[in-house]
Amino acid sequence: MGRKFMLAKSNFRKNRGTSAGLFLLMTICTMLISLVLLMYFDAYGAIAKRAVDLNAGDGVFFVGGTEEDIEDYKNYLISGDASEAESHKYVQFNNFSIEFGNGKLSPSVIFTDTSRFDTVLNKVEVVVADDSVTSDYIYLPYQFLTGGGYALGDTITFEILGESYTWNIKGFIDTTYFGSSNGGAFEFILDDETYDDLYLTAGDANCCYIVCFKLENGIKASKFILNSSNNYMEDHPTVRMSCQSVDEAISSKSFMTLILVVAFLIVNLIIILVVALMLSNTISNYIKENMKSIGALKAIGYSGSDIRQSLMILFGGLALLGSVVGSGLAYCLMPFLKSIVVGQSGILYNPSFRAYSVIVPLILVTLFVILVTAFSSRKIGKIEPIVALRDDTPSHSFKRNRVRLDKTNLNLNLSFALKTLFTNTKQNLITFLVTGLLVFVCIIGLLLFENFYRNPSIGILSFEVFGGIITVDPSTADETEEYLKTRTDITNLRYYNVLNLTYNNEDRLNCNVFDDFSLMNNQDVCYEGRLPEYDNEVAVSGKFAKDYGFEVGDEVLLTCGDKSYNYLITGFVQTCNNFGREAAMTTSAAEHISALSENDTMLCFDCADKEVCQNVIDDCTELYGEHIMSTINFYETIDGNMTIFKSIAMTLLVMVCIISAVVIMLILFLYIKALLYNKRRDYGISKALGYTSRDLILQTALSFMPSIVLAVIVSSVLSYLYVNPFLSLALLSFGLMKSSFTVPLGGVVIVGAGMIVISFVFAILGAAKIKNIEAYKMLVAE
Amino acid sequence: MTHIIETKKLCKTFSGNGVQQHVLRNVDLKIYDGDFTIIMGASGAGKSTLLYSLSGMDKPTLGQVLFDGTDITKMTPDQLSVFRRKNCGFVFQQIYLIDSMSILDNVLAAGLLTNKNRSEVVEKAKRILKSVDIEEVLWDKFPTQISGGEAQRVGIARALINNPKMVFADEPTGALNSKTGKDVLDALTEFNNRGQSIVMVTHDITSARRGNRVLYVKDGEIAGVCELGKYETGDKARHQKLNDFLAEMGW
Repeated sequence: MGRKFMLAKSNFRKNRGTSAGLFLLMTICTMLISLVLLMYFDAYGAIAKRAVDLNAGDGVFFVGGTEEDIEDYKNYLISGDASEAESHKYVQFNNFSIEFGNGKLSPSVIFTDTSRFDTVLNKVEVVVADDSVTSDYIYLPYQFLTGGGYALGDTITFEILGESYTWNIKGFIDTTYFGSSNGGAFEFILDDETYDDLYLTAGDANCCYIVCFKLENGIKASKFILNSSNNYMEDHPTVRMSCQSVDEAISSKSFMTLILVVAFLIVNLIIILVVALMLSNTISNYIKENMKSIGALKAIGYSGSDIRQSLMILFGGLALLGSVVGSGLAYCLMPFLKSIVVGQSGILYNPSFRAYSVIVPLILVTLFVILVTAFSSRKIGKIEPIVALRDDTPSHSFKRNRVRLDKTNLNLNLSFALKTLFTNTKQNLITFLVTGLLVFVCIIGLLLFENFYRNPSIGILSFEVFGGIITVDPSTADETEEYLKTRTDITNLRYYNVLNLTYNNEDRLNCNVFDDFSLMNNQDVCYEGRLPEYDNEVAVSGKFAKDYGFEVGDEVLLTCGDKSYNYLITGFVQTCNNFGREAAMTTSAAEHISALSENDTMLCFDCADKEVCQNVIDDCTELYGEHIMSTINFYETIDGNMTIFKSIAMTLLVMVCIISAVVIMLILFLYIKALLYNKRRDYGISKALGYTSRDLILQTALSFMPSIVLAVIVSSVLSYLYVNPFLSLALLSFGLMKSSFTVPLGGVVIVGAGMIVISFVFAILGAAKIKNIEAYKMLVAE
Repeated sequence: MTHIIETKKLCKTFSGNGVQQHVLRNVDLKIYDGDFTIIMGASGAGKSTLLYSLSGMDKPTLGQVLFDGTDITKMTPDQLSVFRRKNCGFVFQQIYLIDSMSILDNVLAAGLLTNKNRSEVVEKAKRILKSVDIEEVLWDKFPTQISGGEAQRVGIARALINNPKMVFADEPTGALNSKTGKDVLDALTEFNNRGQSIVMVTHDITSARRGNRVLYVKDGEIAGVCELGKYETGDKARHQKLNDFLAEMGW
């Protein structure tokens, strides 16, 4: 073993630069694997673990009704598959307007008093509190601190049923089901006194109970929720009820964490490919450059396998070291990624040391590197010592004189660059491939930036895009509608409603109900077939259809409470909402299974901007006061909802751009280094003839540009055309069946141009070493 | 006679591992226009170092090299490259053609540096290749596909393509057999007869006879100069003069 280590050490000394480049690539590779593991198992796992810590059970029901109804319901659950059930009373408001981040949110909110801290199931935990605040206080979900822009000691003001309430923020709480903006509901805990006041104002109409349940082992929560809610609704058709399983709560909190994991995985696969290609190229160069040494070693008794093992020791050692450094770097980056996880999930999370995040990448990367080394160096075993000592391997192909200087009209430097390109075909092919992949990844980053940061594509996140929504009670609906019709600053006034449907006691659908779907702004929500027109039609989400094998033209029996109806599927819709469980039908179709006229009426309208929308909302609130159940200024809601998405989109874009730049730099550095070594004689001759260092640097840099430019063009065009189908595959599990993100042409051009410019600059810098070498020394180096 | 190159107190010292080796010591010399100057000396005497210092390929440690009155030791590497392409042609012992380029491209690679008129350069390259007996059939071949003598004659063509003021030849026949070596020397003599100034390093007495002036380098200094006059085949007195000079120098 000693002699192999000695050889490995000698190879390292001879190839310090190349070893450093490969070490960096391996470090990045390990760092990404480590990040993926930490994000998935530690961060995502922490979200799941918090649910266990808080004894969140298996799900919750929102149930309206009297205390007796709730006791009945709890008994009903316990008599079924639930082992435990616990209820707590709240005041609930839907579409509640809350300042959050840079905008506003319109979630459902539930208020309760400090007795909430005594619950055993679905506990809440105070993350941070200011004990000096003793009256008129409120505990907010932790996400308000991490992503909402609130702090201890601040005040928060809500408009509730026409009255203004201001509370002092006493603390922030960790709560499983109602702590994240992605979950669609927030829970607030008030001091007992002000809660009682609020309860009196809100009245029984706004009262609800949250029933948390824990199931017997082996029972699936989704099925239990459907069965128990449907069965109960059949007996109690007037009771308002909705539900959420703990898995749904965890998924909604970890949605973006998973997107980050997927993005890192894609980049990681590319880096792994780059490591394999660069390693194989380095070994091939090593064999070429050290042919005589290999011959000499074999002549004195070293076997091919000794030499190969010394390479495995060298590169395996680098991988081992790179893995340790990469894992360390991953931990250094975790505080930054933690802020995204915490900001989005609203849980208390501190990255902890996970041995697997060091050991798994270490084993994976080291083994991979050793395997690639073993595979790429197998030629060494076949080299005959005498042939190697002669080293008469032809270094050029003379089949064709490409770019003849007597025939071409190209500039001299460009002609030389092309000649170099044709003698360096393999390296240029790899550069082409890697650059193309990097451009593709950058365009995905750009697309997310464009659609989640610059011009948020709300149509992907929401079924319909409005200017604003005013929800009024049934008694005032007609009057409010008439008033809104008189206003000239709004357009496209339409009814909107939402129904919770079930299918075959197996699945749930969030059904969007409109009078006329042709008035919808977000027509793209239907990606196949058409939106419903008649009272027997429904459009269902593509993911739902796929899961149950439905095609356009099939019939589906949908249930709402105790009523069911057979609908004809006219098309497939998609959003990332509700895990791809969405449906759409006309008001007349919905009336087969629900008495919509008894519900509050949601009037939607379009308008020019958020100021106009706010004017409309303010005027309606002034006119109809307590009859206005809720309002949404959609422009502000977009800003609020997008705060977290924006930071993630920005993070991803910056990360893929930095990683792409580093990877392209390393590739060019390694290739140019090898090229300078292999062509040192030619450079010496050229310098002697009178070529300046600038000429030679330019020629060298330019020799890589055709493959880079071509890769950028090909990849940009392909990405522009096919990035959406690719993302559809990646986002399938989120309910996006046919992605139609905007791909900004200008941005694609900037990414492409940026990649070309950066590559050219790196190539020039890599080739700048030519400057330091004198012609005479280069010639005598022979 | 006008001189093209003049050196003043030219020194070159190599340092390494705490040891200094003075290869050239205060060399003062002049190289004249139209001369075929030979630099001779024992191995390690500093012949090649002197040649490459005169041509701007290597930087002297001290002193001046005045080429047409311009001190080239003050030039940056890139200025020296431009200087070389305009003023110098090189013929190396190892020939140093670029293996990945055809014969014609090797000559054009030098020619196109100074003359942007491609067709003119191509015509000139073909003419010079013919004048060194490189037939058209070889022009598209690659250096490893032709003989050493042919390759060295291509090297001469490449050195002459830019009408340099001076051709520097470093043991041009060193890697050739006597027949091909003679062809190369004939070519160089022919060009010198047409007025081309040449400085040639050699330790071969047959090659040295081609020169009209011989500088003998010993221990980094010019130990002696021998004026031989124009080369003529079979001039025994001239041969004897050179032999006597070399004997005096301790050759």
